[in-house]
Amino acid sequence: MAQGRKGKLNYRCPRCLMREIDMDMLFDRDAGEFYCLRCSFTGDEREVLRLNAQFREKYGNRAKRITDF
Amino acid sequence: MGDFYVNIVHRPELIPEYLQKEAEEGKEEDLTRSEVIEESLDIFRTQQQIAHDNGLRTTIQMTYASLFSEEAVAVAKEHREVYGDEIGCTFLGLQCRQFRDKFKSKELAVWLLSMEDKRRVVDEVFGRFHQLFGFYPTSTGSYYMDAELVNYIKNKYPMVKAAVATCWEEGPKAYWNANNSWYTLMDGGPWNPWIPSKRNIHCPASDADDDIGVVAIPHLSRDLMAVFDGPGSYYGTHPQNILRGMVYEEREIPYFKNLVDQYRSMGKYNRGYSYNMVFVGPGWMSKRGRWEADYDFLLKSYRDGLGYYGELKREGKLIDVTMSDFADIYRQDRPYTRPESTLWKDILYGSKRQQYWHIDPWMRVCLDMNQGGAMVDLRPYAAKLERPVGVGSACLQDASYPFLIQSYYRAGYFTHYAGEGAVKSCKFRHGCEEVDLCACRTLASFSEEGDTRIVTLDPVDIEFDGFTVSVRSQFRFVEGTGEIEIVREIVETTNPQAEVTIDEYATACYGTTEYPEDLTGVKLTLQGASGKEAIDYAYKCREAEMPGIELAEAIVPHVDSRLAMRTESDDCTGYFREGFAFSPMYTIGIKKKVKGKGELRTWLKVAKAS
Repeated sequence: MAQGRKGKLNYRCPRCLMREIDMDMLFDRDAGEFYCLRCSFTGDEREVLRLNAQFREKYGNRAKRITDF
Repeated sequence: MGDFYVNIVHRPELIPEYLQKEAEEGKEEDLTRSEVIEESLDIFRTQQQIAHDNGLRTTIQMTYASLFSEEAVAVAKEHREVYGDEIGCTFLGLQCRQFRDKFKSKELAVWLLSMEDKRRVVDEVFGRFHQLFGFYPTSTGSYYMDAELVNYIKNKYPMVKAAVATCWEEGPKAYWNANNSWYTLMDGGPWNPWIPSKRNIHCPASDADDDIGVVAIPHLSRDLMAVFDGPGSYYGTHPQNILRGMVYEEREIPYFKNLVDQYRSMGKYNRGYSYNMVFVGPGWMSKRGRWEADYDFLLKSYRDGLGYYGELKREGKLIDVTMSDFADIYRQDRPYTRPESTLWKDILYGSKRQQYWHIDPWMRVCLDMNQGGAMVDLRPYAAKLERPVGVGSACLQDASYPFLIQSYYRAGYFTHYAGEGAVKSCKFRHGCEEVDLCACRTLASFSEEGDTRIVTLDPVDIEFDGFTVSVRSQFRFVEGTGEIEIVREIVETTNPQAEVTIDEYATACYGTTEYPEDLTGVKLTLQGASGKEAIDYAYKCREAEMPGIELAEAIVPHVDSRLAMRTESDDCTGYFREGFAFSPMYTIGIKKKVKGKGELRTWLKVAKAS
């Protein structure tokens, strides 16, 4: 197995992010995938981005400008 | 004061942890790596330029490492001269080769040093600063500045008038968020500037004798709802925080402006005054990107953020000040007893939820309108606990100010399981039926009568078998008393003959974390016309009631606090309830029967026990 290295940007584990833990992942160049040292998540960049988009869904107002206070 | 003041604080860290970690991947540690130092300086210059391009003055807080960089010192001097920026110094960014050589320590948190080392580091940093600039700084800071540290600084360098002194609600949540590796355990302080007590930095000073001598400023202006229940590093006026929390869509971050505008709206609750601060180093703006964001997005986020402040300034809606300027302005109109308060509304999740936050020299309180106005946080500032932190102290890393009630750490209102959680609320009973206001979400409005701040909740309907009562709650914070008057009023009923018991209660404990503390030694007391009854807590599930109650109280010697409820009605019954090991709580309460309409009026007081 290849040595794990920091990948593109500093992708955090999307599964750990769901429970609000910032856990930088390592990247396996041979397999072309990220993996988490803590929760066993494994996935390519596309999967990470898909789950990150899911994480953002909890913020119902993330794209809304609010001016009434 | 009737204005929106903003502090933009930049610190030229030369070896920020993110850049350093990236640069040293697969290599040994090297604190003199020139590419890291050069990139950090570049980013610092960029951040300064963005502020100046928007017409904003900054406070440059020199790090110890930057005091050995001729370039950083030259930039600071030039920007002071040209833009009117202030040059202060921070105790962040201590680590560099010179620090290692001199102190033989890898410690990065000044508040965690031993008191002896704190004094040595302060003298070294201030001494070096004076050598270079010819004057001592008047503003300083760190993520946390304990009272003992600030007292030393103020005693030896009396010109210091402002300090970044805490990160709001960075405690167990921040520790967990950082995979249990980030020791900013400092829950329990104010979210906006305050004049701290000499005895504990979290507590607002009670009077001139208690005044520590600086105006304290929290690190960033944070989302009072999201950060109370989530990582502090996700939801604040630092674009990096918001990127870290991923609160954006298509590279746009309206949340930053929403946050700024909600802080601006705090003028409604604080005699017209409102405040914001940005405090950033270079580490997050790496050319290699950070927090899933590439450099272009990082740069855009800072340009957009400071761009909004610049826009407000051009419209005459913002006053940009340096930290020391702000300290002077703040002291011009700030009686010690004046509370800081705000009715915060959700701007993140899309709900209508509100929480009311209040701070004064006696207490910090949060009321949650999602739980019928339940008190979900209570910190006994009146105790002014002396809790030194750092090596050699009993608390060591735990710099949080203890709570008596923290519903998120200690369960709060139970929706399942047996036992009780920490919360202050009110129950309504008829026959065998019981409804807790925690289950009746509502909204609130804010008003003032002289020096009384009033939070009035929209009435909620409570349905009993065959009839309904409509209940309105009101919380009256009378400035300078350390008491909250709480009124529960049945304003309507569909059965005027029905008897209803109104039961105002506080279920509490103490601590700084999620984990229980030993309650042995807590004293529960009832006092009324018929005498006095008291027990020492021993986990024996004991209960007592007293008709004609005047006062129900809990003395918690572990945090030198007295939590008391009183009433002026002579037809109320008081009670206390001891817990058990699987439910380590104590409850005090006052209840009253009413027929048809009626009210229960009680006063909650927090005082120093000793």
